Amino acid sequence: MNSEQKCTGIACGNPARLQCPTCLKNGISGSYFCTQECFKKNWATHKPIHDKGNTYIPKYNYTGSLRAVYPLSPRRPVPPHIIRPDYADDFTGQPKSEQSVRNSTTIKVLNEEEIEGMRTVCKLAREVLDIAAAAIKPGVTTDELDRIVHEATIERDSYPSPLNYYGFPKSVCTSVNEGKFEARVFLAAGRHLLNQFHLSSVICHGIPDQRELQDGDIVNVDVTLYHNGFHGDLNEIYPVGNIDEDSKRLLRTAKECLDKAIEHVKPGFLYRNLGAIIEKTAKENNCSVVSSYCGHGIHRLFHCAPSVPHYKKNKAVGIMKPGHVFTIEPMINLGTWKDQLWPDNWTAVTVDGKRSAQFEHTLLVTETGVEVLTARANEKRIYP
Amino acid sequence: MISLPSMDDDDIPELIEERLETLPTETEPVTEKVPVTIVTGFLGSGKTTLLNYILTEQHGKRIAVILNEFGESSGIEKPISIGVEGELFEEWLELSNGCLCCSIVDKGVKAIENLMQKKGKFDYILLETTGLADPGPIASMFWLDEALCSDIYLDGIVTLVDAKHILQYIAETTKDHSINEATRQIATADRIIINKTDLVTPLELDTIERQLRSINATAEIRQTQRSRVPLDFILDIHAFDINVHSQTLTASDEKPDHPHLDENVRTVCLVLPHPSINISVMEEWIQRLLWDKTIPNTTSNIVVLRLKGILTPEDSPLTRIIVQGVQELYDFQYAKANAGDKVTEDKLVLIGRNLDRQLLKNSLWQWMGWQLSDI
Repeated sequence: MNSEQKCTGIACGNPARLQCPTCLKNGISGSYFCTQECFKKNWATHKPIHDKGNTYIPKYNYTGSLRAVYPLSPRRPVPPHIIRPDYADDFTGQPKSEQSVRNSTTIKVLNEEEIEGMRTVCKLAREVLDIAAAAIKPGVTTDELDRIVHEATIERDSYPSPLNYYGFPKSVCTSVNEGKFEARVFLAAGRHLLNQFHLSSVICHGIPDQRELQDGDIVNVDVTLYHNGFHGDLNEIYPVGNIDEDSKRLLRTAKECLDKAIEHVKPGFLYRNLGAIIEKTAKENNCSVVSSYCGHGIHRLFHCAPSVPHYKKNKAVGIMKPGHVFTIEPMINLGTWKDQLWPDNWTAVTVDGKRSAQFEHTLLVTETGVEVLTARANEKRIYP
Repeated sequence: MISLPSMDDDDIPELIEERLETLPTETEPVTEKVPVTIVTGFLGSGKTTLLNYILTEQHGKRIAVILNEFGESSGIEKPISIGVEGELFEEWLELSNGCLCCSIVDKGVKAIENLMQKKGKFDYILLETTGLADPGPIASMFWLDEALCSDIYLDGIVTLVDAKHILQYIAETTKDHSINEATRQIATADRIIINKTDLVTPLELDTIERQLRSINATAEIRQTQRSRVPLDFILDIHAFDINVHSQTLTASDEKPDHPHLDENVRTVCLVLPHPSINISVMEEWIQRLLWDKTIPNTTSNIVVLRLKGILTPEDSPLTRIIVQGVQELYDFQYAKANAGDKVTEDKLVLIGRNLDRQLLKNSLWQWMGWQLSDI
């Protein structure tokens, strides 16, 4: 892999080993230039980075040009007749019911009635995701996707599970991988010029904002509904307009990783062994697997046991039994598997800015295999 | 259209060459991982004295001490003390209020990693739990998978006990008949420090040590006053490494006969036929034991707090598998037998409640297809 620094001079991008001394002194990282000549040419746009007036902005080394486009839209109201999870009205969104079993590795076996509850909410969640997906095109903001998800969820007498979960401000997670450099970053003179020639890629938990989707982006939409006391969770990654060949390979691989893992789900299979299948599939396609986030149990609680790592050699606890419901949601990267968090404490991005893709299903272990509760209309629902 | 500000080339500084050592590399930097030791003990056992003693001792190490209520992270900042060569600093550990959902690494672990990124690496981290804490879940949190490539690793669990009161604490019954915290702390420990020995008679001390050993026969025990112990007794003990075998083997199979159903937490050591272990079959037995919390193929409910073992696979006599377990978590680590390795028996050591030796043995032998006369 290429570890060289690129010149941050506008439209340059040559390999660079020289650094701005003022930036170094002020602890601003990443200001590389190829030559003194190039530095001089870019001085006017580089200099504002040093401005003392900017120092209140937290020093955060963004991985690329993507930034949240604030202000976020106001919090969307949920009508009072809709049944809400416990965290919905908590000041900081603490899910008390989940926290009380946080250390438990016991996996709940759902009864018929509960399974029906899961079937219903997962079907509704699939409908909402499909409605949001149909709206994806260049020019649409992720906030607009949030509005669509929020309204479609409420129409289905459901609560949008992400809303206020540990304080999450929106009703859906939208994770964008940039397709093109963003002109607005050039316009926002100042420190944001750093890394302007790198694209950024959000792995998961992106917050819908005023950024418009652009041709060449890929965007993940992660929908969870809470209906009649049960959560149903799924996500998919979508191309925006035309995407390049590498992105197509990434999307195919991410889907294949999920599908291959699902094929193995049946009573008696160890949760810890799913990761090896996913990692093997990713490696065969020259991709890597994010390790920081995992699949999870889901039913009356949004996130609970089992914990389902997507990498091999993990110590996950549990054997699959009929009546278990959980998600598999591998995050697959073109470059490094390493992730980092934005200062908003939610947005997880790849550290090298290279692309990341994810698909997720909620799964029910049956007597003989698995039922994909969130399957698409044209997708295999019952295995084997 | 993007308009750029006009050029102004006064005071443009000379660029400086990047120093080679600051070159970020894509390959994994070979960095030493930082050990974490969990220090437990009831109020009055001398934890704070021990930590102050460690912090102020001239050892030339940057030691961070993280205090209190760890693991009950609720999105607020926690103070931590960092001791560097006898000097103490207060720092704030920022626990992000962000997403815990489906995040593998605990927020507290992340917070420590972030702090080290900002403040430079520590040489050592000591985690002081609250008096009543069960070290099991905290250990699980720090016992991270290799694949996560964390900067920190779990080195071991140290438990301090107050000689004057420990027997009383161990004997206490809880409302729901679960194992009391003092017993959990002893059962989970790799090192036990019996402190304040000046407050009891030598005879009492003897009883205390025997009682602690009957709970946990694998931990090393030391007696002391004013929390004074050699630092190498509690730091860098590598209790979760493959180097642990000699220690594991100190637990002996010779135990006085206990009543058939033993409610007390104790250590059971099973000596296994050597070297004829089908590892995957054995692993299934361990899974049933730890996850279903019953002795496989019996109706006997059990609790395992700690598991250690050394196994030789039937198809690879020069390989040693080191088994480690804390509550439901377990791991098999593969090692090569040393040239002069005289080990001729494999062992499985269990610490927990309702562990009936004979039932366990019958269950395992039957599971493995061994004749009971095999040993």
